[in-house]
Amino acid sequence: MKDMIKITFSLVVMFIAAGIIMTTVFAKTAPVIKVAKEKEETEARQKMMPDADTIAEAGTWEPFGKRGKYFEAKKEGKTIGYLISTYGKGYSSYINVLISTGKDLKIKSINILGHAETPGLGDEIEKDNFKKQFDGKSLEQIELVKAEGTDKIQAISGVTISSRAVTKGVKEAMKLLKEKYGVAQ
Amino acid sequence: MSTTPSYWHLFRNGIFGENPVFRLALSLCPAVAVTSGLKNGFLMGIAVLFVQTMANVTTSLLRKFIHPKVRIPSYMFIIATWVTVTDLGMAAYARDVYAQMGLYIKLIVAFAIILSRSELFASKNKVTPSFFDGLGMGVGFLLALVIIGFFRELLGKGSLWGYPIIDTKPLLIMILPAGGFFAMGILMGFFNWIDIKFFGGKGASGAGGSHG
Repeated sequence: MKDMIKITFSLVVMFIAAGIIMTTVFAKTAPVIKVAKEKEETEARQKMMPDADTIAEAGTWEPFGKRGKYFEAKKEGKTIGYLISTYGKGYSSYINVLISTGKDLKIKSINILGHAETPGLGDEIEKDNFKKQFDGKSLEQIELVKAEGTDKIQAISGVTISSRAVTKGVKEAMKLLKEKYGVAQ
Repeated sequence: MSTTPSYWHLFRNGIFGENPVFRLALSLCPAVAVTSGLKNGFLMGIAVLFVQTMANVTTSLLRKFIHPKVRIPSYMFIIATWVTVTDLGMAAYARDVYAQMGLYIKLIVAFAIILSRSELFASKNKVTPSFFDGLGMGVGFLLALVIIGFFRELLGKGSLWGYPIIDTKPLLIMILPAGGFFAMGILMGFFNWIDIKFFGGKGASGAGGSHG
């Protein structure tokens, strides 16, 4: 009985102390992290669309059950293109991709914002020679192939699942953009 | 502990005598997972070095207070607190580094090597020796990851720290998990061979006494 009280006391005191430490650190860092994250996201968008003077959120959508946003980029009040963030279901994570397109809905560039694929293998999708393949493509041209020397998207050897996830995510995003903005232009 | 080994001895013990990966064969899971590249291995090693040292010091400070019957949950809590503090601190104030290491830091909570040093060493020793033991173990782990990562990246991708060295990928399997075990097994054997050949197989009992 005496032991029980001692054990309980020892654990409770420790857990309360640890709880206080973690809460304090969290309270101190959470606002800093939030601001930094938002800044990084804004910067990522501006980098993909350097000509625009305003990038306004136009709505949200749900690629593969995740929450993505899309944006209209404007210059002097005229729409010059669109940005959309999308997800693809990869080997061990959802791959977050940001796409910028022109007004003609052709891809300007894509960027991998976040993923947790196999380090050293799946993260090859971050490399330029994979991402650059998407540049200038329209919805119909986005298709993954394993053969070399085509005008389609070529999968990275050994990284098929992650390559496919990126391609699928981009394709879904382009479909949505076409639905929203394709007919009017 | 009857004799008190010098601090240098304690530090060296973690690197050679009881290297976490090559000797104690602890925390092999992360050692395989993150060593597909030199850089990943190095960053993970640094994070472990920090948490290991801090957890050892904290455990040692609280060793009289922690009830022996509930010591494991207590150690886990100390480790988890340090990992959380490191994770949040880096996410807020060192975002560049965090972008590279964020994936790995949270994994450290479940590292066998950190828990085992709390149990085997820090809970029985004063703060300063515990600090050096943690430091040595951390550096030993870091070195092991760097060596494994070096060979795996060079052979698997033909590059080092992300920079291409040779133009081909000689052995793609080396960056896959199977290759991780190959590399680790061969290096482990190599270290044992050196130990037997040059030190008469005494290396494993290194500083001695740390098994308590």
